[in-house]
Amino acid sequence: MTKSSRPIITIHNIETDEIISREMNDAEFAQYEADQTKDLEAQAEAEVKKAQRQALLDKLGITADEAKLLLG
Amino acid sequence: MATTTNYSWTTPDDTALVKDGASAIRSLGTAIDTTTKNLNPSTTLGDIEYRSSTANTNTRLGIGTAGQVLTVSSGVPAWTTISSGGMTLLATTTLSGSSTDITSISGSYKQLFLLLTDVYGSGTNDFRFRFNSDTSTSNYYYNVVFQENATYNNQRSSSAGYLQGGNVTTSSTQINKLNGSILLPNYTSTGSKYVKYDTMSITSGGTNYQVMGTGLYIGGSAISSITILNSAGTFSGGTVYTYGVN
Repeated sequence: MTKSSRPIITIHNIETDEIISREMNDAEFAQYEADQTKDLEAQAEAEVKKAQRQALLDKLGITADEAKLLLG
Repeated sequence: MATTTNYSWTTPDDTALVKDGASAIRSLGTAIDTTTKNLNPSTTLGDIEYRSSTANTNTRLGIGTAGQVLTVSSGVPAWTTISSGGMTLLATTTLSGSSTDITSISGSYKQLFLLLTDVYGSGTNDFRFRFNSDTSTSNYYYNVVFQENATYNNQRSSSAGYLQGGNVTTSSTQINKLNGSILLPNYTSTGSKYVKYDTMSITSGGTNYQVMGTGLYIGGSAISSITILNSAGTFSGGTVYTYGVN
């Protein structure tokens, strides 16, 4: 991603009431990308768990609601 | 001598032979003037009157000072300065970009309260916030009860580098926007800062998202800035009202 396409952030200094909007600097952009990567990893992990849960339900031949009844 | 019903002003009897009309009229005028002044003792802009213990005689109450409220003291009205519990609106901030920083927050209040209104964005993403631009993953802890329609979930994190709580939706339709609040009861502490927050939003597809969260921020400085984050995409609208609470 080139610098010109970096996300914009807004900063409101409430002491002076000055508001500026600018592109993320290097450190902010690095953090932004790290957060995005972590989100994607978490999303992938959740998808795997969901698939594993469904596979187990299929193996047992019960629905998710029936599993809740069993565990409740 | 006849008198009037309400204020007992003296008037000539019907049968009286008035020989000094000017004097009678002057006496009546003086009585009316005295009574009127007793009922309206105001002298200055903003004065108000209230009933005293003496019949037909009101007491003047001069205007209070800015911010005072009218209360009761010893059974009569009085202007009083609020000594605690007041909220001061420090700033009104419009959300835009992928994040919005609210900076230079005064440390002279006991608590901070942020009211989030009508927040929406370019995608259906997570609503997050950070303090003091601190991205350390070891300084934030949160635990939220998360309700998606009728299904309850919970989510916790001790390594996120932010606090998370809510769903920014895409629709600008009023009912779909995220609303909520963030309370920081000890934001000037240099120890752990407790955070209590809640949000509610409804996607354009009708999915209700409700989040009730508690968190800790253990950065070693008082909170002087708050970054409102959209996990992906940008904010299309929304307003944050920042209040200092005493």
